[in-house]
Amino acid sequence: MVEVGRHPNIEVLSYTEVNSVEGEAGNFKVTLTKKPRYILEDKCTGCTTCVEYCPVQYPDQYNQEISKNKAVHIYFAQAIPLITYIDESCLYLKEKKCRICEAVCKNNAIDFNQAPEKVEIDVGAIILSPGIEPFDPKVREEYRYGQFVNVVTSMDYERLLSSTGPYGGEILRTSDKKHPHNVAWIQCVGSRQVIEGGNSYCSAVCCTYTQKQAILTKDHDAEAKCTIFHNDVRSYGKDFERYYQRTENLPGIRFFRSYTSIVKEDPVTKNVTVRYSTPDDGVKEEEFDMVVLSVGLNPPADVKDIAKKFGIELNSHNFCKLDLVNPIITNRPGIFVSGGLQGPIDIPESVFGASGASSQIGELLDYRRGNLAKERIYPPEQDVSQEEPKVGVFVCHCGANIGRIVNVPETVEYCKTLPNVVYAQEQLFSCAINSAKEITDKIKEKGLNRVVVAACSPRTLEPLFRDTLREAGINQYYYEMANIREHNSWVHQKEKEEATEKAHDIIRMSVARACQLEPLQEFDLPVNKAALVVGGGIAGMTSALSMANQGHEAYLIEKDSDLGGIARKIHTTLEGLDVQAYLRDLAGKIYKHPLIHVYTDATITEAKGYVGNFVTTVKSDRGITEIKHGAAVIAIGAELYTPTEYLYGQDERVMTHLELEEKIVSGDEKVAKAQSLVMIQCVGCRNEDRNYCSRICCSESIKNALLLKEKNPAMDIYILFRDIRTYGFKEDYYREAASKDVKFIRYEPHDKPQVEAAENEEGRPVLRVTVTDYVLGKKLEIDADIIALAAAVIPSAVTNEIAGLFKVNLSPDGFFKEAHVKLRPVEFGTDGIYLCGMAHYPKYIPETINQAYGAAGRALTLLSHDTVIASGSVCEVAEKKCMGCGACISACIYGAIELRETRQGKKAVVNPVLCKGDGLCNAKCPTGAISLKHFTDEELLSQIDAVVPEEEILQQIDAAVGDV
Amino acid sequence: MENVISLKENIQQLRKNPGDGNFGDVMVVGGGISGIQASLDLAAAGFKVYLVEKAPTIGGHMAQLDKTFPTNDCST
Amino acid sequence: MCSGRVDLKYVLRAFSNGIDGVFIGGCRFNECNYSTHGNYHALNMVLLCKKIMEHIGLNPERLRFEVMSGSEGNLFAEVVDDFVKKVKGLGPLGKGEGIGGNELKLKLGEVTKLVPYIKMVNQEKLGSRLENPEEYDGFFTSDEIDKLFSDVVSYYIDPDKCQACMLCARRCPAEAIISAKNQIHVIDQEKCIKCGTCFEACPPRFSAVTKISGEPVPPPIPEEQRTIVRKSKEKMREAALSID
Repeated sequence: MVEVGRHPNIEVLSYTEVNSVEGEAGNFKVTLTKKPRYILEDKCTGCTTCVEYCPVQYPDQYNQEISKNKAVHIYFAQAIPLITYIDESCLYLKEKKCRICEAVCKNNAIDFNQAPEKVEIDVGAIILSPGIEPFDPKVREEYRYGQFVNVVTSMDYERLLSSTGPYGGEILRTSDKKHPHNVAWIQCVGSRQVIEGGNSYCSAVCCTYTQKQAILTKDHDAEAKCTIFHNDVRSYGKDFERYYQRTENLPGIRFFRSYTSIVKEDPVTKNVTVRYSTPDDGVKEEEFDMVVLSVGLNPPADVKDIAKKFGIELNSHNFCKLDLVNPIITNRPGIFVSGGLQGPIDIPESVFGASGASSQIGELLDYRRGNLAKERIYPPEQDVSQEEPKVGVFVCHCGANIGRIVNVPETVEYCKTLPNVVYAQEQLFSCAINSAKEITDKIKEKGLNRVVVAACSPRTLEPLFRDTLREAGINQYYYEMANIREHNSWVHQKEKEEATEKAHDIIRMSVARACQLEPLQEFDLPVNKAALVVGGGIAGMTSALSMANQGHEAYLIEKDSDLGGIARKIHTTLEGLDVQAYLRDLAGKIYKHPLIHVYTDATITEAKGYVGNFVTTVKSDRGITEIKHGAAVIAIGAELYTPTEYLYGQDERVMTHLELEEKIVSGDEKVAKAQSLVMIQCVGCRNEDRNYCSRICCSESIKNALLLKEKNPAMDIYILFRDIRTYGFKEDYYREAASKDVKFIRYEPHDKPQVEAAENEEGRPVLRVTVTDYVLGKKLEIDADIIALAAAVIPSAVTNEIAGLFKVNLSPDGFFKEAHVKLRPVEFGTDGIYLCGMAHYPKYIPETINQAYGAAGRALTLLSHDTVIASGSVCEVAEKKCMGCGACISACIYGAIELRETRQGKKAVVNPVLCKGDGLCNAKCPTGAISLKHFTDEELLSQIDAVVPEEEILQQIDAAVGDV
Repeated sequence: MENVISLKENIQQLRKNPGDGNFGDVMVVGGGISGIQASLDLAAAGFKVYLVEKAPTIGGHMAQLDKTFPTNDCST
Repeated sequence: MCSGRVDLKYVLRAFSNGIDGVFIGGCRFNECNYSTHGNYHALNMVLLCKKIMEHIGLNPERLRFEVMSGSEGNLFAEVVDDFVKKVKGLGPLGKGEGIGGNELKLKLGEVTKLVPYIKMVNQEKLGSRLENPEEYDGFFTSDEIDKLFSDVVSYYIDPDKCQACMLCARRCPAEAIISAKNQIHVIDQEKCIKCGTCFEACPPRFSAVTKISGEPVPPPIPEEQRTIVRKSKEKMREAALSID
């Protein structure tokens, strides 16, 4: 988020609504209204003095209205922009009185004369990402939300769990502010129900977020009892199955598969009674301290208005109507969609959908890329490395945040007594634009070569102050920040004197370190503009095409002799896409594209290099080729498990779901004429060997069932399942199949169906399936003509090999491991290498395409530049000190260090491009030969030595000598 | 193609005209996690972005979440 | 900076400076936003350091490592309050344990000198990552640490065998070998970090460097006796004398 606020190419228009959109792709005219926040954005520094003095208290929206906030406030602590706004509860706005905030603001940032402002902007393309709205359980009285005080929604509970929440991270009941010890969750609130006010689709995220909340509840209170009333548990995502098991295995957590109703509230204890049914004991009632409603995801409340303004179509659930293939485009060219408006999706899909939208816009607007982008120009840097350290200290009042607690003028005087400090002054707000300018001027005027700003956390403002040094022609690594706000004034509000003393200590340490700082160069690495795409399935082709359409050469490497991957075995999707026609069209575009080079029957024999500069050797039908490229996309897809169970391979009437699809499409007689067909789900996964859900098989089986029912409505179709995981809109097809009399029978993993060849009463050879029906509570025998197995999706056989070549990691299930599950789902920890498709995890075709565009979008953020900047804070080896023991090499997971033979034996050498600056190697090196620049032993030890002022150490030593 | 060229000239024209600062490449509507990611990617890929958010801050619903599954990482 | 960057010697330095307690904060386990999981390295170092503290008679509770996420300000405050209380209860460093200031300084100085050696011996353990933090119970044992200190090795150059070839001196990462051409080399035990590079570097036909464990290092040969007398030359001289 912080990055957005600082990016020179992004202008954030917060508190702003869109009025109208005119024009067409490449040339939209948008009218916006900026709502008055009664705060001058460029003057407010976010010091929150006004908030303290504001007399109005009203329910805080950020905390789900459980706690109170002020009429003037910052939405939440990490808000961007980090400035206040005044809302309609303000006394002045309502009754024309008060104006206290105006009086207390030292920066004159309050302006009650603001009025709504109309803004017109011209843009070439639009992305709609208005997000989702949590389902409001008030629309259904039976949930008793708002009626029983201890019935809360999962969003409320989320805030209760949070340390920034209403009770500071304590889970408390609103009724008596006591910890609930016995909490129940009710799943599918507002989801999977065809009733007035509910949604028929599955909200896709609630099963897993409930598990998260149960785990966190146990973290808060190890004795807590958690009960989860659920329908199917839909742990379809990457690592979700393991997460489910982790939750289930915690003591005191119960999962009940049952419909429930909330019956009553105890008038005294305010406990809530839930009625549910169990297979063994029938209907039961149980009392809980708190009931959490796991609410689903709704489209934004104003979605119809959005649709009208932007001229886009919605589907029957009021989410954006999506293309069957490309889930990012809307019916109006130039307007794209990402995130929750695509449907109920989890965070990673939102993230790669966003990157995907960015790539598709790149294709549309490539001709104007860079025209409006800004770059900053700095004065040339002076070499001051030979000079004595001349430190300047700037102590910030942060309005009243620091100044009210810490005696700033006295601290400034103290700074002047510190060694090497040649200048010190105070500032009201060091981060204000005029203050930054003042620092630049003082550097020049006083000849400063080191700067310490004593203010807040470096996390937010270090980049700004580094910039300030660059403006003055000083190397930015000569900057050091002393945090006397978060680490001091905010936590010692009642101990002003001690806080002032602590400020001295913190600044003294920073000054000591500043004296040791060295100038570092961030170096530019050239970026080769070409991309390598490994894998020629839908994921690889989509991503190659998107990059090529933005002017980048793409080398597409396919191990088979044809493009298409596993999709060649798929004929339609549940939504009705003709997959083969789509594939032909896509492959055609690939072959015709002048910038795409296809290598089939290809294997990669070697991959060398680093971000922007890879060299990969490919052996293919074209011979051996050495390809130079700046980025690589891993899209090697996945394979299908070959079952060994249920007579597969022994009886030709037993087949996989994909083989069944093939036979349905080709009109195979045996399949077409079958009287009875059984599908068995979860074959080869959700077990000990493969502890994950293959995500797509439930829908694959339902798709086949619907195809068969269409051709032969009389066919008896049974689907034997563990959980039906038709998440999102796919739930509609589950319902359709059930309504067409496809019979769903649940089985337990410890009591799997049995299959044997037999003869039915008429003497016809059949496959006899025996299964326990848990609803009826008895064993069933089904005579089937055909059995289709939902075989697991398994990682490609070459996964390990590719991972080794490109030095990227794998997840426990053998799929590739992304850099961050939620926030960087299409990248690897290794820079310049991206990931998409089933190589990441099993997924549907539209999801694959979404992610493939996402990988292209992320790759473009690299390829669109001529150079990539590598940080100056990397490791370096003092060769003389290195004894060649290799301790650093085993500590480095990035493979950035290697041993090289020299005349003085083996010596470690760091490749600065691969080094990420974590410094783990430093702590392992026996001789101190390897050192992380900007965090060297000298720098850190000087800081440690300065913790205690020198005089005090001497005193202590004297005292110690006295002891003896 | 002609369209494209005229548009390019149009942009250059606009760039020369300092009075009109409201010309961007892309407008992103909604400053949740998806909108933020899209804005960052577009900006990094060389486009000027307007990120329009109706709330007083960007962040969306994710900023309200305590942790995220399956890694239980914090979300802000 | 990753918590795994915190060096054993930093902690020792703080105690040497008379600091009464050292607190190290890291990210929660298995939540690394990169893929380094350096907080495990920090944990390993802390566990080792606690045992070393025990060994020299310092209360290991003066060192604490806690993991938490950036959003857990309250937890941080709680933990720090608790730690400060604890350390205050323990009293000033050394005094609380009943060790004299000078003795403590000496001991810490000795351990600090051994840091390179300690790192070398425990290289593998320091960089390891067990699945569950619970598995770390008894990761380093007191016996192990006692043994570490009792088995400390020293290197010594046998003046009778040294051929003053400079090989060891050139390789020494600590510049601890006093050497010159035709001068018998001597290891400055004050500077030596016990890495054994000289032991490896000395040509096998000389085998002048010896590894000593459990007994004192012989005193260095006096400076005036260091000039090497080559055997071949000696023989020639003898021969010349006999001719005379």
